[in-house]
Amino acid sequence: MLLSLIILYIISLIYISIVERFRNYASIIAFQGWILLGIALLRLHSLDWVELSFIVTETLIFKALIVPAILTRVINKTRINRIRTSGTSQFNSLMLSVVALVISAIMTYYIADSSINMVFFGVAIYALLSGLILIVLRSRIFTHMVGFLVIENGVFLFSMAIGVEMPMLINAAIMLDILMSVLMLGLFMTKVDDKIHTDDSDSLTHVKD
Amino acid sequence: MIYIFFVIWILLAVATFFARSRKIVHSLYLVYLLSHAIFGANLLFGGAYLSTSGEFFTFDQVGSLFYVLLFVVSCYVFVHSEEYLKDDTIVNYRNYFALLMLLTAAITGVYFANNIAVTWILLETTTLCAAGIIYHRHSKATLEATWKYLFVCSTGIAIAYLGILLLCATASNNSLSYADLQHLIINGNPLYLKAAFLLILTGYSCKMEIFPLYTIGVDANFAAPAPASAMISTGLVNAGFLAIFRIYKLFSTTEVFPWVKNVMLIIGLLSLVVGALFLRRTNNYKRFLSYSTVENMGIVAIGLGIGGLGVWAALFHVVCHTFIKSSLFLQIAIVRQIYNGYRINRIGDYININKVGAIGLLLGMIAVLAFPPSPLFISELMIMMEALTLKGWWVVAIMVLLICIVIFTICYRMIKLCYQSNQDELHLSNINRRLSYSALSLLILALIIGFWQPAILRDIIDKIAMF
Repeated sequence: MLLSLIILYIISLIYISIVERFRNYASIIAFQGWILLGIALLRLHSLDWVELSFIVTETLIFKALIVPAILTRVINKTRINRIRTSGTSQFNSLMLSVVALVISAIMTYYIADSSINMVFFGVAIYALLSGLILIVLRSRIFTHMVGFLVIENGVFLFSMAIGVEMPMLINAAIMLDILMSVLMLGLFMTKVDDKIHTDDSDSLTHVKD
Repeated sequence: MIYIFFVIWILLAVATFFARSRKIVHSLYLVYLLSHAIFGANLLFGGAYLSTSGEFFTFDQVGSLFYVLLFVVSCYVFVHSEEYLKDDTIVNYRNYFALLMLLTAAITGVYFANNIAVTWILLETTTLCAAGIIYHRHSKATLEATWKYLFVCSTGIAIAYLGILLLCATASNNSLSYADLQHLIINGNPLYLKAAFLLILTGYSCKMEIFPLYTIGVDANFAAPAPASAMISTGLVNAGFLAIFRIYKLFSTTEVFPWVKNVMLIIGLLSLVVGALFLRRTNNYKRFLSYSTVENMGIVAIGLGIGGLGVWAALFHVVCHTFIKSSLFLQIAIVRQIYNGYRINRIGDYININKVGAIGLLLGMIAVLAFPPSPLFISELMIMMEALTLKGWWVVAIMVLLICIVIFTICYRMIKLCYQSNQDELHLSNINRRLSYSALSLLILALIIGFWQPAILRDIIDKIAMF
């Protein structure tokens, strides 16, 4: 079961590299939230209500429901539905994503030892690289935001890869990270579009030397 | 003890958010500064020094030293901000002061945190507070700077988090206190340790304003009101430095420490290159001062990279840089009040407009360029001498070459501000010589340290650098 979820997660990462419509981005982020919920529940060592409520809050409520809802609102508000056609082609993005997958596998093979879960480690690295590829290749701010969310999901998986049980402090840190994401999305939705009147990152070039 | 003060500081900040007049804001920030003074007095004279507060905070030497610096700078920043924002609406005014209070409290927490996760959380909190301050003007440029600051800092902090997780995996333990980790990672997997250090250094570089994520600090300083830039460029940069320094110290007992020092050296040299080259490119005095911070933090990283006496020199450099850079930012805030801008190629004749301010800037130029009697002369000389002994001539050669570029650029531009003919409209009614004197006093403090380092300062840096 766990392996099936991991494979689904990898497929979602490959798919996100060729997506062009913003609504699909929002759907994939929601889908990843559900997968992460499943993975986190399967990894629960015992029925600890505090940990369970934290997992549900982080993955289901935030990653699978709130964030995709905010993304959808942004899409409706800005009325921009697609990434720029002048950007990198779908084929090139797919190739880059596959290369990232291979690099992640090689890195995992050479780096991971017994203290780290190899599968989670590899997928986490792949998620990080996928997020970075999205940020670098796509020119729309919206896609950058999605790239950041993919990285955040990668970080979540990375914490799963670590065999050590993390104290509540780390959970608090993750919640703060979530707060940052919400703040960024809020700023994006309410301010950036109003003031800059576009969601193209090319327009964010006034602050420079 | 610190928890009670955190509650007081947060309550004062919340009260400031809802203050209805400038007088109330003024009273609240005075109470806030007073509470910091009481906290500091208790720390230094009340027996709290070197003790632990709760589970997550320890009032160690390095934290206490940086806290004293923060307190001094924050007093100046609050007073200068009041004059700087005198024409702002009450909403903007109170929000600014409330966020400044929260930022100062969060930085204080970073200084005293004895747990790697708490440091990380509080650094993330500084991002939230600083973002609000950067957005203060609500203009297109400040929005852009805020967006970039939030985005890059969040990504950077997420990267640092990965490093922390990897460090925990190496330690095979769920204790995240620096003291425990120091013992747990001694025999850790070297590859994991290296990867963890690289990730944490990359993430925290956005706070310390060194390569690779230095740009975001420059943008933040550019967009924030100038007195707040004084805080960001010193207090917050010191928080980033301290976070990296604690990790550096953590790794000092591991077998990868020589590699860690080499990484610090390379990062320092790259920061110096970036600082030196971009100082020439920019046409804005605030960005100009920010690149000077990048350059100085590069020198600090080189000091850590060299090790030995270089660590002592790096710490001394940070201490003195705090006074010098905050003084320069506060002086530049007065320049902005007079010219209503920071454009290097247009504003000038400052020596005839505000003599005290101009002298402050010229003295600041001497100090930041490490000309004697600047205290930075001592630290830079020590770093170079130690580099000659431990690393070879090539490090010194690169440093000298880049510092020559810095000297030429800073002299040229500061002299331009004072003596070139002015092309911008003047707002002479905004000249406030008392503030120029006030900013100058910070610089004089730094110059005094250049002539004479108090035994207590030397002693405390000795203890911090000894590991």
